[in-house]
This record gives sequence, C-alpha cells and structure tokens, in this order.
Amino acid sequence: MIGSAHLAGVVGARLVAASGITIPHIDYTAILPELILLGGMLLLLAAAALSPRPLPTEAYATATVGLATASLVTSLVLWRDVTDRGPLTTVAHSIDVDGFALFFLVTISCILVVAPMLGAGYLRRERISGPEYYVLALISGSGAMFMASANDLVLVFLGLEILSIPLYVLAGLDHRREASGEAAMKYFVLGAFSSAIFVYGIALTYGATGSTNLAEIGAFLARNVVTSDGVLIGGLGLLLVGFAFKVAAVPFHMWTPDVYQGAPTPATGFMAAMAKAGGFAALLRVFVSTFPSLRSSWQPVVFVLAALTLLVGAVVAVVQSDVKRMLSYSSINHAGFVLLGLQAATARGVAGSLYYVFTYGLVVLGSFAVVSLVGGSGEDRHDLARFRGLGRRQPVIATAFAVLLLAQAGAPFTTGFFAKLYVVEAAAAAHSYLLAAIAMGSAAIAAFFYLRVVFLMFSDAGAAAPAGEGATARAVEAARPAGIEPAGAAGGSWVPEPSGAVATMVAPVTRSAAADARSVSSGVVALDVSGEPPVATSPWILAGLGICVAVTVVFGVWPQPLVEFAHQATLLF
Amino acid sequence: MSAPAVLAAATIPDAVTFALAAVICVVGALGVVLMRNPVHSALALVMTLFGVAVLFVEQDAQFLAAVQVIVYTGAIVVLFLFVIMLLGVDRRERVLADTFRGQRVVALVLGLMVLAEVVLLARTRWTTGAHSVAGPLDGPGSNVAKLGRSIFTTYLIPFEVTSALLVVAVVGAVVLARRPGLGEPSGEAPDEADGASPVGPGASGPGAEAADAEAADAAGAGTAESTAGAGAAAGAGAAVTR
Amino acid sequence: MGSLDSYLPILILFVLALAFAGLSIFASKLLAPKRPTSAKEAPYECGIVPTEGPPQRFPVRFYLIAMIFVIFDIEIIFLFPWAVVYNELGRFGLVEIVVFAAAVFFSFLYLLANGALDWGPVKRIRPVTAAAQRTTSSTVRRVGAGSGEAA
Repeated sequence: MIGSAHLAGVVGARLVAASGITIPHIDYTAILPELILLGGMLLLLAAAALSPRPLPTEAYATATVGLATASLVTSLVLWRDVTDRGPLTTVAHSIDVDGFALFFLVTISCILVVAPMLGAGYLRRERISGPEYYVLALISGSGAMFMASANDLVLVFLGLEILSIPLYVLAGLDHRREASGEAAMKYFVLGAFSSAIFVYGIALTYGATGSTNLAEIGAFLARNVVTSDGVLIGGLGLLLVGFAFKVAAVPFHMWTPDVYQGAPTPATGFMAAMAKAGGFAALLRVFVSTFPSLRSSWQPVVFVLAALTLLVGAVVAVVQSDVKRMLSYSSINHAGFVLLGLQAATARGVAGSLYYVFTYGLVVLGSFAVVSLVGGSGEDRHDLARFRGLGRRQPVIATAFAVLLLAQAGAPFTTGFFAKLYVVEAAAAAHSYLLAAIAMGSAAIAAFFYLRVVFLMFSDAGAAAPAGEGATARAVEAARPAGIEPAGAAGGSWVPEPSGAVATMVAPVTRSAAADARSVSSGVVALDVSGEPPVATSPWILAGLGICVAVTVVFGVWPQPLVEFAHQATLLF
Repeated sequence: MSAPAVLAAATIPDAVTFALAAVICVVGALGVVLMRNPVHSALALVMTLFGVAVLFVEQDAQFLAAVQVIVYTGAIVVLFLFVIMLLGVDRRERVLADTFRGQRVVALVLGLMVLAEVVLLARTRWTTGAHSVAGPLDGPGSNVAKLGRSIFTTYLIPFEVTSALLVVAVVGAVVLARRPGLGEPSGEAPDEADGASPVGPGASGPGAEAADAEAADAAGAGTAESTAGAGAAAGAGAAVTR
Repeated sequence: MGSLDSYLPILILFVLALAFAGLSIFASKLLAPKRPTSAKEAPYECGIVPTEGPPQRFPVRFYLIAMIFVIFDIEIIFLFPWAVVYNELGRFGLVEIVVFAAAVFFSFLYLLANGALDWGPVKRIRPVTAAAQRTTSSTVRRVGAGSGEAA
C-alpha cells in the first residue's frame, strides 16, 4: 500500500491523454511464471493434438512437472529481485509483483510440481487418458497466480474464473462414476452462482470508488471519507461471499463434501490445495491491503465466518466414517484457521495465513493421494475399515499418511503445528481471544478424527475398533451385488471363494467379521495374507508423497526459512 | 440524475425508441417463461436480448450493443438451442410442481423485497467515487474507440487472459461431451449406441442417453459461463461510461 | 442523442425483412394448391417406410461444433474494438491480437484432433444386415393408381 497515492496519480495522468494511446510497458520477466504455465499448457495441447498416436499419461506428467519447476525457479529468482529492488507493477499497473504475490507464486508452483506426480498413477489405473488433467491443472494454476498478483478487480475476477472452471471440469473427469459427474454439475452450478455474486460485488465497488484498480481504490478511500457507504459496503459483502464460496467457508461450504467426495481423488487434493491458495491470495490482498479503512465493517463478519467454519468443519468431520468425506470436512476446518489470520488483519496475521496456506497445500495433496491409493480401483471404498492394518501391509504409505494426518492435526515437529500456532498467536495478539479459543477447541476436536485414522492404521486387526460393526454391515452390502451370499453369517465365519476378484471382494468382510468375533490373531493374519486389496504404488506417487512428507517434516523441525519468507512477503506488500 | 430529469432530457424519438425496446424486452421475457415449447422460449429470448441491444444503442454504448447481438443473440442462444436439441425437444418438465415446499411463497416475498430495494436505491443519493477510468462519455472519439484504447492499455492483461478462458471452455466441452468408456467424443446417434459399445457400465441404451444429456447440460452451462466471463472482460471498459 | 439517426437504415432494413417474410408466408398460403396425402406428410417423403421414429436427440458431438462457433464468435468481438483503434496501436496492437488469436487457434487444433470436424461415415461395430421381413414390397410405399398403401 505504500506509495499508492503516487501510483494513482501516474495512472490518472496516463489516462487523461485520451487522444493518443500510451502503450503500456510490459515487463515480461515479471509475468514469466504465468507465461510459462500458459505457454506450456498450449504446447501440451498442441502436442496432444498433433501426435499421431496417444501419448502416455506419464509423458504429460513429466512435461507438467518440468513447467511447474521452471515457474518455481523463476518465482524464486523474481523473489530475489524484489527483495533487492522492491516490488514492481507492470502492464498498466494491473499486475503487482511483490513479496505477497511471489509467496503465492511459489506455493502454487510447488502444488503444480507435486500434483502431476500424485495423479499420474491414478489416471493410468482408472484408464483416463489424454492431456486434460494436466492441461486443466496448468490453467487452473495460472488462474490462481493471476489472482495472487492481480492489482485490478477485473483481473481478480478473471483469475477466479480461470482457477475455478478447470476445477469444475476436473471434478467430472471420471466418466465411469456417476458421482463424478454429479460433483462437476453441483460444483459448476453453485460456482457460477457465486461468481455472479462476485461480479456484482465488483460492480458495486467500482460504482462507489470509481475504479477497479486495487491501488486506486485504496488511494481513493485513503483520501476521502465515504459518508453514505451503502454501495461500498454492499459491494464488499458480495466480494466476501464470492471468496468465501471459493475457499469453502461456512455457510458457503455446502458444495464441498459432495464435490470433494465425487471428484477423482487426486483432483480433489488438487482442488483443495489450489482453490484455497488462489482464493486466500486474493481475499487477503483485497481485504487487508485495499480496504483497511473499512476494517471495522468487515472484521466482525469475518469473525463469524471464521468461528462457524472452525466449528462446523471439525464437528461434522468427527461423525464421518468415510475417510475422503472426513478429509473434505477437515479442509473446511483448515479454511477457518486461515481466516483467523485475515480476521486479525495484521502483518503477523497475514504472515500466519500465508504459512498456513503453503503448508496445507502440500499436506492435503499428499493426504488425498494416499486415499486414492487405498481406495482401490474405481474408488470403491474409502471407509475407515479399509485403513485398518495398513501399517502392517504398507508400512511406507501408512507412515507417510500418519505424518500428513499428524500435520493436519497440528502435532509438533510438523509444519501443521507452526501453522496453527502462528495464526492463533496472531489472533490473540489482535485481541480476538474468543476466536483464538474457538480455534484451539476446534483443533482439539479435529485431533480426534485424525488420530483415529492413525491408530486404526497401526492397530492390530484383532483389536476392537469403534467403526467395526458399521464397517461389517457395509462390507456385507458391498459383497451382495457380487452375488456372494454370506453362508453362516451368524457364526461370523464365511468361506471366501479362493479365486481372484471375488476373493478381493470378500476379504474385508471376512476380516471385519473375524474382528467382531475376536478370533485368534493367527487366523486373522492368515486371512489377511489371502486377499487384502493390493495397494498399487508407483515411483511417481512415492516421489510425490516423499516431497510432501519431506517438506512437512523439514519445515516442521526447522521452520525458520519459511517463517522468514512469509514474514518478508507481508513486508513487501 | 433522478428519474424526472432523465425524462425531461429525452427527445420524442428517443422516448419512442425506448418504449418500443422496453416492450420488446418484456414481451420476449414473458415469452421465455410462458411458451410451452423450449425452442420457442429460446427464440423469445432472442427478442429480449435484441431489445436490450437497442437500449444499449440508445445509451451510446455501441460496443455493448454489438456484443449483445453477436455474442448473446448469436452464440449464446445458439448454444441454448443446441442443448435443447441435445436433450430432446419433446421432454416434458412439470414446471408447476413445487420442488421445495413453500417455494413459491418464498420467491414472491423475496421478489417483492428486491423490488422494494430497487425503488429505495433509486430514491437515494449514494456517494460515488471519482470520475470513471475511461474518461467521460461525451468526450472526443467514439465509444468503441475508447473501449479499444481501454482494452489495449488498462485492461490489456485481462484481455489476453480471456484467451485462457476460451481454451478452458474448449477443453471442458471436449471432456464433458466425451462418451463414458469410449475415450473419444461420441460420434454415433443415440440409437446406434445400444449393443454397439461393449465398454463400461452405462455405455449402452438409456444409460448412455442420460449420460449424454448430463454432459450436454454441464458443457452448455460451462460454456455460457466462460463466455460471460469473456464478455465481462470485453465490457469492463464499456461499463465505465455512465 | 443524434446517434440514433445513423441506425435508421437498419430500422428500415428490419421493417423490409419483416414485411418480406410476412408477405411470402401470406402469399404462399393464398396461392399454393394444397392436396395433402399421407405419403406427402410422411417424415421422409421418398417412398421408404420408416421402421422407427426419427432420433429424438442429437448426438453430443454436435456440441463441439457449437464450441467452435462460440470461440471464434468471441474472438471476433475482440477484433472489433481492435480494428477501430488499429492505427493508433500499430504494431503493438497487432502483436497482442495475434497472441490472443494464437491461443484460440491452439484450442481449435485440439478440437480438430478430437474429431470436431470428423463427419465421415460412423464406424459400425455391429454389421448391418437386412432384416428378413423387409422386402421391396414392404418398404416401398406406392401411392395412387389404385394400389393404395402398401404398408
């Protein structure tokens, strides 16, 4: 916000000269990360269109990882330039390249590096060929980047659309499952509705302030006191609704569970990470840096939003028996934590939010990747029973999942701990003690359902689990369509067919039944060996998970660089 | 400017044009709601959109009028018609049945509230900001030229970024129009599908039709939205003239 | 506002178009002889008796055609203001519009690769065999000359 008055003067002077055109200066290096993503996306499309036979999904994944890495490197180089020479705006002041934007550019690039690694195996398994997943991910990422660096509400809106429309399509990528189509439809209809509300907010804000440029709006509000500010407040409210929908804050979260559950699992992870990164980037910039003078108006609203989001997300997640659905409610809970930083509206709060968004992005990507592995082909089952004993069957995957879940719960030595610590600390420093207390309470509730999954993974199958009974019933339901009639159900000892697919179907049933009957553990192990659904890993997904876990642990043990980064980002606003 | 002042400033041809265009708009809108055949509804929509275009011309917003005719009455309504055809013209919907209980009462109350709000806003003098970014309406040069300058200077990045939106629209349409299990956009008419495709559940018979319909629905709506986004970018400068 | 004057020719054109359309319909009603037979009213007036109704719905692939139309429609709407200020913008404007058009063109390529303009004969997986009950006498409708309706 420093120097915005000067900036507005420059813009005004340029526009007064209406007879001739002042060609805007374009600093191509400043927008290079976005250009790399968009240009690369077009090349991927062309490659897919022109290649004589279909390319393997791994080829597209490699290309996407390469592009994202290039944009990551460029962002870091730009970061060095900006710390040396200060923030710059380019292309007629509609793009801001400052620390804040670059922090999100780095975050988005990291998400884009990891997402294709985690998605490639799934796409191959589900036989979804073609470049679409990667193309849509790249476009979506560039939209989020534009949202983060936009200095103009029109560009914020376009970024929002470019971020969201690929996500609608990604949700419906899997044609074989009806739930996927339903998710796309639901997300699309509600998303279009919220976009319309957002545009209306822009219109009202423009009407009240005479500009769509964020710096000019800020300068106008700094110079003038708006006495009858109905239009402005109305516009602000509509903008907040639009953003709250994108980041899934209660009460605008209704779409989240269904869409997250219906979408292909890697797309769900990507959606959660990317929509939150883009949404919070623009939300923080618009509200904290453009409308600080109206803080007394929007802070109470954000307070209510944050409190509701924290509580509803945590409480409803507890009663979920489906892990994918549980994680989608938990993503709502996380949105509440990020809102904490916005509510504080201090540099500390914003820094906390930035740190939170970065760490959450990688954690949620990894978590959903594990769910996609364990869920099995066709995403048939995501219930808790499926995760029982995973620690013995797949120690590496289970350990990774445990680390990621602990990070979401906010356990020490993970990034999640510092993320929660910083936002709560910022809220307390801004005297929002009630909100800080609510956040701590919701973190405690949330810890319960994360730890339940962790215990389930590493518990012995013989131990009684809380979800055992329900899981058995569901497993029986699952077995019925396959034409398997449970013989001697009362005794709890059904004889599974020994052959292939049928054995896979029956195995969980047998195991759960055995657990209920508290049979001797040796028998359980024998059944276990006979037919657990195989968890097919690939080097790609292991590498992706490795990155997620490494970042989570390394910055959890040694958070200083990342904290410094987030802190500097808010200084260079 | 308050309402009486506007009326005083208007000349007779202006007033006549406005009245005619307004009647066209309202009659078209009623037609959209009241026509039994969805194709006729879409054609009535053309009438409304055209009336709005005339209103835009009257406001000296020539570019918006052009957008209205070329994009909305042209492309958007054509898309609507496509989707109607893809879904089947003769599908009967029971529009008069309430999906939610008390839906109509709530709609009526909310509608009245909006109407009251509009009246209230029209009678209030709101503080608005500085002069619009694109300069005054009655300055030198035509409206379209001003808009062109705006698009290629202040709103250059939004303009270029709109192309990404169009790419998303294309990719999205291809993905959603794809037949389940075939991995390619469907080429056959629905009646050829049964028995012809051994792949995947729901790939044959009525299941395929339903999936088709859903895809068409989603794709249609998706395009409409991205188009609207593009329109917003185009109109960003135009909306400025007030 | 004097600008409305320049739209007068368009208005006249509209009136002429409406008048022409109305007159044509009215004249054909007035002048054309009408002697309907069941064969003339059949959906395909070529003598072959249809065995099933016409398909109620169009294949989704038509949608890709609509997409091509919309994409280029929107490109054109952006060309309009560019053309108006072309002289002021010069090379800069040309570069910008070419960048825009290139992105649109790439998506067009992608559409082509996905068969948007592939309207050759549909590959039938099931071979077409003539049904035994469909013979010349059952499928060809003869009208007039006392033969009546064959079907």
